[in-house]
Amino acid sequence: MHAGEKALPQTDNASRERILERIRTGLRTRLPEPAAAGRDQVIFEPVTNPLQRFQQECVANLMECTLTDDTNASAVQLAIILHALPAGEIFVQDHPSLRTLTELARSGRPIRWSSEGAPSEASQATVTLAETLIAQTGSIVVTAACGGRGASVIAPCHIVYATINQLVPDLETALSNLNRERKLDSNSFACVISGSSRTADIEKILVQGAHGPRRLAIVLQTGN
Amino acid sequence: MSATAAQRFLEDAAVKSADLAHREFIRRGMESYDAAHLKGRARIKDWEAARQKCQAIKREAINHLDRYLLQFEEQVTARGGHVFWASDGSEACTYVRDLALRRGVRTVVKSKSMVTEEIHLSPALETAGIKVWETDFGEFIVQLRNEPPYHIVTPCMHLTRGQIAELFREKLEPQIESDDPAYLMTVARRKLREAFFSAEMGISGANFLVADAGAIAISTNEGNGRLCTSVPRIHVVVTGIEKVIPRLEDLAVLWPVLATSGTGQGITTYSTLIGGPRRTREPDGPEEFHVVLVDNGRSQLLSDPEQREVLHCIRCGACLNVCPVFRHIGGHTYGTTYPGPIGSVLTPHLAGIQEFKHLSYASSLCGACASVCPVKIDLHHHLLQNRRNATNAGATRLSERLTFRAWRYAMVHPGAYALGGWAMRKTLRIVYRLGLAGSFLDPMRVWNHHRAPVPLPSESFRARWRKGLAAN
Repeated sequence: MHAGEKALPQTDNASRERILERIRTGLRTRLPEPAAAGRDQVIFEPVTNPLQRFQQECVANLMECTLTDDTNASAVQLAIILHALPAGEIFVQDHPSLRTLTELARSGRPIRWSSEGAPSEASQATVTLAETLIAQTGSIVVTAACGGRGASVIAPCHIVYATINQLVPDLETALSNLNRERKLDSNSFACVISGSSRTADIEKILVQGAHGPRRLAIVLQTGN
Repeated sequence: MSATAAQRFLEDAAVKSADLAHREFIRRGMESYDAAHLKGRARIKDWEAARQKCQAIKREAINHLDRYLLQFEEQVTARGGHVFWASDGSEACTYVRDLALRRGVRTVVKSKSMVTEEIHLSPALETAGIKVWETDFGEFIVQLRNEPPYHIVTPCMHLTRGQIAELFREKLEPQIESDDPAYLMTVARRKLREAFFSAEMGISGANFLVADAGAIAISTNEGNGRLCTSVPRIHVVVTGIEKVIPRLEDLAVLWPVLATSGTGQGITTYSTLIGGPRRTREPDGPEEFHVVLVDNGRSQLLSDPEQREVLHCIRCGACLNVCPVFRHIGGHTYGTTYPGPIGSVLTPHLAGIQEFKHLSYASSLCGACASVCPVKIDLHHHLLQNRRNATNAGATRLSERLTFRAWRYAMVHPGAYALGGWAMRKTLRIVYRLGLAGSFLDPMRVWNHHRAPVPLPSESFRARWRKGLAAN
């Protein structure tokens, strides 16, 4: 960053105090306290079988989830997915487990690692880990640590390698884990991804693959 | 000015509601929303409890707005982000424009943000010679047409695929050969990818500002919001001060409820949290992160005990979708940034009660809006309060005052009421017999001008009642 680039366009922000003052003045008008709502109401049906629920939600969210027994089976699955894609480079999160997996998969494609920077626009696929999987909504949670921000949105295909112990029952558990582990202190970005990119802006007709990946494939390993 | 906005509204409403093709097209769109929305609601075990929870979260946030905004600001600043507080639209636009000029920005990519529409940010940047690309597919389409969004969630729902294909042929590529939505999306994607990778600045809105985590939350299905906030080297968030929520865990109910009310989805495809600029070890992301907190009239709603809750709105669009008035007159007729019931309630506060008081009457008061609102805003009662406030604040016409005085007299004097009814039946019978229905001599001309007269009863309701109507 160049010298002086840190300087803000307006160093003083006189409106800050004005707005805070207006807010405080407005809040002096007291509102009657609402009747306390029932505290113990169950909003969402509790998830009893997380794996089954996760698989169902993946189908509903138009994403693929393949269960594998061990690392070798996961590598085979990765190879199958990569084999079907057009020729070209892939982008992979630089993590020991993904170094091992891509080596086993032997796709023969050029690999750009996240330690070398952002994915190129021409990437055919990105391969990353996830922080967490959520059964209730059929989601994967990624942070900047999972190969950065572009890793889950730039390429037309996003492949996620996850293990069964990463699966949590619901969104609330996933969010409170994020908060408890202060993930947003160590990462500038986190995202709950629930399916492939889509739009229904024309006549409410669903189109898969808008600006992000057309395909989101999860390789979910149940054993070692 | 007062007559202009109101007159234009009445004229446009008359034209649009008589456009049967438009009504049919919107009805079909809304029916597909209705089906998805009901299905989505059925996935939530206790929808009413979910609404109560969302209402309680937003109430807590708004009732301690200063505290939560400061908590949010402190965290964002600690991570190297900048927070700017803007009293009004022009202050916000100046900040963003000056930042862009100082950093040598020539191209901006924008993801959907109603606040930027409210403050007219794009024209302000374009005047300074900066190219602005709307990247949400629907927003991109209405931008090509030089139109404001028709709807706050689905901006181009008034256009057929044929119209969009024609627009693309004219504005993008002459060789567009199909009106298939997937094909049109591919064309737009290709065009916008160039924009994403050449832009120096990305501008987004925020669905929520999370105070305890110090992060903004953005919901997007297409992924354009992701690209806007990942690729360019500067990210600017422009949002309203009322978007703050206390805790990250609040999103466990707000995200599903927003998605269900907006589109019927269980959760939006990309529910993103961003807490600052890229960290040193991260492979990508913007080097600068700015949050512009826009007041623009919002803080004055806090001192209104009846309507403070209007600030709870999460902009899901559900009240527009169910509103019989919106379904007939469409989004553009309102002539406001926020159309539909929430727009009719909010606009007089943001843009002037006298100029926009007519919107308070653009309602049948059926309450469909309040019944679907996921944060339980009592929308139709707020329309009534706006009517009252406008009447108390401004002069009413003499004819209106005299009419209401006569009406009041008749309501407390049954004899006078009966006499009036008798005189009206006689008069109308003569007028209709002379073929003058709808003419200036017809007391019912406002109704009869566009419609066949309702057949006149042979006797009054009171007479029929006495004869035993009650027994039926």
